[in-house]
Amino acid sequence: MPEISVRDLMFHYTEGVPVLRGISIDFSPGATAIVGQNGAGKSTFVRLLKGLLKPKSGSVTVNSIETADVTVATLSRTVGLVFQNPADQLFKSRVADEVMFGPQNLGYTSDEAQDLARHALERLGLGGVAHENPYDLGLAERKLVTVAGILAMGTEVVILDEPTIAQDVEGTRRLGKVVEDLTGEGKMVITITHDMDFVTRYFDRVVVMQQGVVHADGSAREVFAAHDILEKAGLEPPQVTRLGQALGMDQTILTTEEFVKTYQRKGR
Amino acid sequence: MRLSLYVEGDGWVHRLDPLTKVIIAVSAIALTFILTNLVANGAILFVSLALLTAAGALRRALPVFAGALLLALTFFIIQGLVYPGNRTVAVAAGPVALYREGLLVGLHLALRLYNILSATLIIVLVTHPTHLVEALVRRGLSPRFGYVLMAVLQIIPTMADQTKAIMDAQRSRGMETEGKLWTRIKAFIPLMGPLVTSSLISTEERALALEVRGFGDNARPTFLREEHIPGYGIVLRWIALAALVSGIVMRWGFGWL
Amino acid sequence: MAVIEVSELRYRYPNTEKLALDHISFSVEKGELVGIVGSNLSGKSTLCAAMVGLVPHFYKGAFGGSVTVSGMNVREHSVGEVSRKVGLVFQNPFTQITGAKLTVYEEVAFGLEHAGVPREEMPRRIDRALSTLGLADLAERSPFAVSGGQMQRLAIASVLAMEPEILVLDEPTSQLDPAGTSEVFRAILTLRSEGITVLIAEHKVERLAEVADRMLAIEKGRVVAFDAPARLFNRADLAEHGIAIPSVVSVCRSLGVSKEDGSLPLSVSDAAKLLESAHA
Repeated sequence: MPEISVRDLMFHYTEGVPVLRGISIDFSPGATAIVGQNGAGKSTFVRLLKGLLKPKSGSVTVNSIETADVTVATLSRTVGLVFQNPADQLFKSRVADEVMFGPQNLGYTSDEAQDLARHALERLGLGGVAHENPYDLGLAERKLVTVAGILAMGTEVVILDEPTIAQDVEGTRRLGKVVEDLTGEGKMVITITHDMDFVTRYFDRVVVMQQGVVHADGSAREVFAAHDILEKAGLEPPQVTRLGQALGMDQTILTTEEFVKTYQRKGR
Repeated sequence: MRLSLYVEGDGWVHRLDPLTKVIIAVSAIALTFILTNLVANGAILFVSLALLTAAGALRRALPVFAGALLLALTFFIIQGLVYPGNRTVAVAAGPVALYREGLLVGLHLALRLYNILSATLIIVLVTHPTHLVEALVRRGLSPRFGYVLMAVLQIIPTMADQTKAIMDAQRSRGMETEGKLWTRIKAFIPLMGPLVTSSLISTEERALALEVRGFGDNARPTFLREEHIPGYGIVLRWIALAALVSGIVMRWGFGWL
Repeated sequence: MAVIEVSELRYRYPNTEKLALDHISFSVEKGELVGIVGSNLSGKSTLCAAMVGLVPHFYKGAFGGSVTVSGMNVREHSVGEVSRKVGLVFQNPFTQITGAKLTVYEEVAFGLEHAGVPREEMPRRIDRALSTLGLADLAERSPFAVSGGQMQRLAIASVLAMEPEILVLDEPTSQLDPAGTSEVFRAILTLRSEGITVLIAEHKVERLAEVADRMLAIEKGRVVAFDAPARLFNRADLAEHGIAIPSVVSVCRSLGVSKEDGSLPLSVSDAAKLLESAHA
């Protein structure tokens, strides 16, 4: 059961320009979405969770080990991070080799790595492109390849930085299914995203970050009902949620199915 | 952020137009090859260093000079040992002797090395690649070639940023890049692939963006700003050219220096 | 008056077997705002590229049919020439910054310089482009020292300064946060109000549906539908063609509720009104 604990985390890239101003938060198995405007510190935060950056003050502890005490590669057995830009993280000229790269680094045999890769690719609907060059695929598919690359590593914690950018309906659906499957397996999933529909459909917990601090941390229902917090963070609830609010529904609506049911039941 | 090796500044050296700086630098390099006199070479170096200092770029230049020190010492010592015209012993230690004639030749080569470096640094550190290229395009350089030149001049910092991002991704996939030196060296090789590929992709995207800004036609462009060459810039150009010509005359006309 | 005329457009990228664009025909009137929607690999980007001639001139490959924009047949003119009338904005704000200029102001001038626009003309055009996109305050900043949304607006401003009749945007908000996305959509509406014809390929169907005059839905290089959003979303087959549907449309369809003329609401306020009265 993976646990991440963050205490009084402060971070800056340049002296005098704080990016994270004291964050204390805990993560347990389940799906958490981190939302907020660009510049809020979200990407910096997840890099600290991954150990790529070390805290300037405060601590980040993953399964009782402080990130400051281990190398990133060691921590990669437990925490996987899919970066926003695929171009930074594609190393091989065949999709299958690419997805095997992670498991091989972790010590799996070639056969085991191949199995893990195949399985991961299938989960993302990429079985058919295993022999292609990642750069011959479109941007969205390339992004899915990078997700497969982390999935194949089987880490307990999976962090996704803006996975739904440029994805179409099918791609988003596959990513959502991956999130559901991972949480079903008792893993921890943390996602940075701007896609509020994606959030409401697949994430139980929503953390709103603004200017280096956590402004809100609660269930999706709670957070999307908090108008002023969302407005300050430059965010808007999904369309269907706003529709429910416009009709004065008591409960905060998260999906179209919920809306339909609520409307039919209460007549309002 | 996109940076070049350029050092920001607003002094009189910075305000010189790019072409003047190129003329000064090229004259200095040419002179250091033409003139064999040590004092003359030393004077050229002094002028270059003075310009760099006036521009506030000397500190940035020091690592380059430090890096070249080994090479300079090598010239000095090897020539001291084996220069054919060696006759007078300067320093001896057992069977090994350094000769005066060779040491002087070695010193000359070292000075030449430093002159080339300083002159080049005047261009690299005190002239922004975009200004340099614009100055050339105004005078007839093909805009396309100019753009490529400018992109190449800015390539080092860009690749440095890219490299960091790629190494982060490698570590995140379980590949050790920290720790022992050998580990770090091993981590360098797989970098090449992604570095080149991502550069190529950005290049293609950029090329497309340029095409649709009308860049492809290669017609003669107009310019938003008028070119401004400060008065003292013209003076410096003439001084540099005069120095070059006198150097040629003195060396091959009169056999001096 | 049709400002874009596409007839039997067929295109295949080099070294591929399938057609990326498969017999596409449509026309767009001056001043229209047309949204292009479809799943990835449906041909949206290729179609955008064909609007300025990058297909076929830049990408080579096999090209058939015709694309006429602002009276120019794309095949017979260079990309540079077509770009004077048709501007194209790409997905990635970062790679659209030339890197050849040190301020936002000069960045906008880049295209003008290479188009040979007279120097006296430039300030007027640049000022207008910057103020239309709300960037006047950032004129002296480095183009790289701005946010993603601002960078994308800068890319649009740079293209706008060329005073095109048509502006094509290929997923311009995909890399932007909600605030940045709103900025770009606001800018597009301003441009539309100035009479510029806009084509925009997007995944954000909900935002697009609220502003588009018509929407072109494509799949596998073919046109599935080309109609006003209110009518387009009435079709039952959109999901199987990989076309996303706005949430308000989806709920109204599930509830069997529609407006008097049979169309479906596209905004929260329209849908709310409709659903309230449906239960009154």
